[in-house]
Amino acid sequence: MTQSFKTGGRIQGHSANLLLLAGFAIVAFVLPIALSGNRYLAFVAGVTMIHILWACGMNLLYGYTGLMPLMFAGIAGISAYTVVDLTANGWSFWLALPVGALAASITGTVLGLPSLRLKGFYFTLCSLVIQTVMTLGFIYFSGLTNGDTGFSQIPLPSLRGEPLSSLSYDLVLAAAAVLGVMVLIAIMRSTLGRRLIAIREDDELAAMLGINVTGYKMIAFFVGSLFAGVGGALYAPYIGFISPRSFDVLISMNIWLMVAFGGRGTIWGPVLGAALLAPLSFFLQEYYTIKDVLYGALIIAVIVLMPAGLLGSLGRTPRLPAAEIDAPVPRRSPK
Amino acid sequence: MSNANLIILLSTISTGLILGAIFSLVAVGVTIVYGSIWMPNAANGQFFLLAALFGWTMTVSWGLHPAIAAVLVIGLSVPLSYALEFVLIRRFYDVPNRNISYFVLSLGITQILAGIFAFTYGQWSDQFQLPPLIGGITFIGPLPVANNRLLVLVLALAILAALFALLRYHRYGRAIRAVFQNRDAAALRGVNVKASYSLSFALGNAVIFAGGILFALAYSFDLTIAWTMSITAFAIMIIGGPGSVLGAFIVGMVFGFTQAAVSTVASPTIAAFSYLGAMLLILLFKPSGLFAR
Amino acid sequence: MTRSLVCAAMISVAMLLSTGIGGAQEKPPVKIGFVTELTGAWTFFGTSCVAGLKFAEKQINTPGKRKIEFVIADNQTSPAQSVAAARSLDVQDKVLALSGPTSSDTGLAVYGYAEQNKVPFVVPVAAFPQLTKPGSRYTFRLEPDAVGWGYAISKFVEKQKPGGTIALIYSDYALMRAITAGLKYQAPLSGLKIVADIAFPQGSNDATVQAAQVLAATPDYVVVIGAGGFDNTITNQLLDLGIKPNQIIHPFGLTTQVMNWGKRSIGSYYGTFFDSNLDALTDEGKSFVEQFIAQYERPPSYGENFCYVTAHVIREVLDKNPEAADDREKFRDAMSALKTKETTSNIPIEFDKNGARKEYIYIMQITDIVGKAYKAKQTFYTEWDPEVIPVYTLVK
Repeated sequence: MTQSFKTGGRIQGHSANLLLLAGFAIVAFVLPIALSGNRYLAFVAGVTMIHILWACGMNLLYGYTGLMPLMFAGIAGISAYTVVDLTANGWSFWLALPVGALAASITGTVLGLPSLRLKGFYFTLCSLVIQTVMTLGFIYFSGLTNGDTGFSQIPLPSLRGEPLSSLSYDLVLAAAAVLGVMVLIAIMRSTLGRRLIAIREDDELAAMLGINVTGYKMIAFFVGSLFAGVGGALYAPYIGFISPRSFDVLISMNIWLMVAFGGRGTIWGPVLGAALLAPLSFFLQEYYTIKDVLYGALIIAVIVLMPAGLLGSLGRTPRLPAAEIDAPVPRRSPK
Repeated sequence: MSNANLIILLSTISTGLILGAIFSLVAVGVTIVYGSIWMPNAANGQFFLLAALFGWTMTVSWGLHPAIAAVLVIGLSVPLSYALEFVLIRRFYDVPNRNISYFVLSLGITQILAGIFAFTYGQWSDQFQLPPLIGGITFIGPLPVANNRLLVLVLALAILAALFALLRYHRYGRAIRAVFQNRDAAALRGVNVKASYSLSFALGNAVIFAGGILFALAYSFDLTIAWTMSITAFAIMIIGGPGSVLGAFIVGMVFGFTQAAVSTVASPTIAAFSYLGAMLLILLFKPSGLFAR
Repeated sequence: MTRSLVCAAMISVAMLLSTGIGGAQEKPPVKIGFVTELTGAWTFFGTSCVAGLKFAEKQINTPGKRKIEFVIADNQTSPAQSVAAARSLDVQDKVLALSGPTSSDTGLAVYGYAEQNKVPFVVPVAAFPQLTKPGSRYTFRLEPDAVGWGYAISKFVEKQKPGGTIALIYSDYALMRAITAGLKYQAPLSGLKIVADIAFPQGSNDATVQAAQVLAATPDYVVVIGAGGFDNTITNQLLDLGIKPNQIIHPFGLTTQVMNWGKRSIGSYYGTFFDSNLDALTDEGKSFVEQFIAQYERPPSYGENFCYVTAHVIREVLDKNPEAADDREKFRDAMSALKTKETTSNIPIEFDKNGARKEYIYIMQITDIVGKAYKAKQTFYTEWDPEVIPVYTLVK
């Protein structure tokens, strides 16, 4: 890797992170209670929490490990379908959730295997193909997935025989998002985090330094997919409906955009990105004609104008040529 | 062989040729752009659709003859390409490892064009059908084939042949190929690299536009064709070898025949799975493709 | 005419009851959330549905009546967006009922939301059977369900050619699977034989080889159900290969589709639930057709009609039960008890315990295409009970 990646490389002030985390936790838990009078806004906030969780997982892979997995939504879908199938067969949601998330993790780890050989664009393209195959699969194996009609009327989970109230489930989502950020902070504080960054910066050098590149990439995929899986499992009963299109490439792109827009390789950038972009699609509901165009324009703006994202650009020394950063391809491309 | 089986066999060949020629055209367009400026253009399907939609507007709404419309559409691609190149594409020419930036950029362009199509053309999305270039039917053995489809096939093959000749014998083509092979060496030999970049971007897109308008002349289409085409063209480019025009042509033909033949032995869904699977295997084990330069 | 008079009389009585004599008190308009496809793959259907709705909206809001306002929201032909829009209309706009989706998957998404959150849901056009599966309480559907269409097509072929053979060639979408499931179930019961069954994955381009396979099976009738533009491709390629137009049955035909099939399809059959060429159009139906042509330069088809009728049905329910205008449970009960007729064609509307309607279909034969219109003659009509065949178990 020829480019250095200052913001991510620098271990941010830990106490600042803890303060921000406390602030985030307060906002996350107070928001559902404050918005409980308006189920719609509370719902938008809940969906945002799920996206924050997803963005953290994508950040681990894209921001910290330097891989852009466009099959992220498909992995979330594996978990969502598993949980819906299991609960339909009488499982408790709370038992199905870890099973579904684990299924997603294992799938994600297996589907991440190509990243051992492919880098940068080639891996991204590969993940795009995988995502396409997964979407086709969700349609094709209709015995498990109900095909393109999807599952509707997925009930909210219950606790001790009582269905959860919307507010309690909102709090569960908030807890999941806070926990997600905490886990990410913990990982980045640990040896694991530093080694992932080393791999992102230059995996050959990392290997020469004795880092088990294969192992760490697999761990990154396992953990990142766990984020996807937990989010997917929580998403299904919250929306009440899933279909192949709930987990298609556009969703992967949107999650990627949240990370890239907020600032990849920073803890709070993707959280900010998700908090800004996830509600946007709801608030733009009435301006449907411009929504896609706006999203596309945002993607281009990120690539052209601020490849390091909102937070990344703020805390950056200006000497790096801007466009270089978004090119995590090693010198030795796989050609 | 019974008459019915002969018809199935002949129809497989005719369909394979037409689909293959159109797939090849688009994949060649994509590979020319990738080979020169290193841009994996995921928006190729949207460009393809744009050409088809322009063709529909010109023939159905304005009443132009489809042949005139086809020429206009392909001509139109040139200023559009140069405009896009000027605004966005050239910003990245000097960026190392720019292919992933380009890839994401083209996904953004895809999103924008898809949004624009949705609210401009979406309301007519069940009626995109162009008048035929010529009428009548020719019998190939027992198989009746519409003359229009035969003409589309001939045109597609002619454009492919012209491209090969251009790249091999004309000085512009030689300049493009020199830059394909080694940018620095080409610059030393006095080739204007940047001009050759814009030229190949425009040329590649013109070929994609040609594929789009020819497809629209042979088939009805709708807005969903864009994404399918993008993935197909990518798969062909990867398997054939990014940057290899010959590879794109051969693999495109194979794809056409696969799509035509597979339903006689298995479900057409298997075809979609199989070409995506082939692409994954090639990516994993021979990322330079089967026909690497 | 008598109908409108009776209607007017009923409405005035209802008005007197609800507003008190001479008291023109102003109540806020009744809002109906209309979630439909304004962008995305199904836009052509959603926008034409809204066109039909707009016609009705002008007519039903005569002075002196409580205004009914349709709040239209786009769902981008995406189920997830449909749920989001339904939620927004339910919570933010506090609509009395939901309506609008014209495709089966967006319809099912809103259905899930409506049943879970006890919001009445009036479905104008979405044919997947599961929208009225047993246990549905808040959903009422005007369009007959797609498995039933398959049943009806078998009945049609049975009448046309007893012991006949059928080839199926269709895109692999939920709607098409539902139609063919009904057809495949009923065909042997009707003494018919399915000789080819070809499904295309989503995103197919060419059907020549498959058309040749159909030809090789020498069927009496070919049932063609392509998705979007692919429908024309299949039809053209079948005709190219020498299948006769009068062998082709399209289970459903919108005006635009009939125009797309064009002159070479004269003689082909298509199913519909309303057509400008019907024998049984009411005066109101005729004037709807005329006005629609005047504005959109093409006759309306069943999609526009169902959306038009939906608005009238809601008006009628509210006129008869003014107290239902502010109470979802009462509105649901009133819908459930409704016995009326389509204002355009006099076909009865009555919902069973699941919200499915007494079902029916017309099979039309295209007789001419002139300019921007077509002529077709009604060749078959049948009605059936929604559960005449096990529609809810044939497709899931």
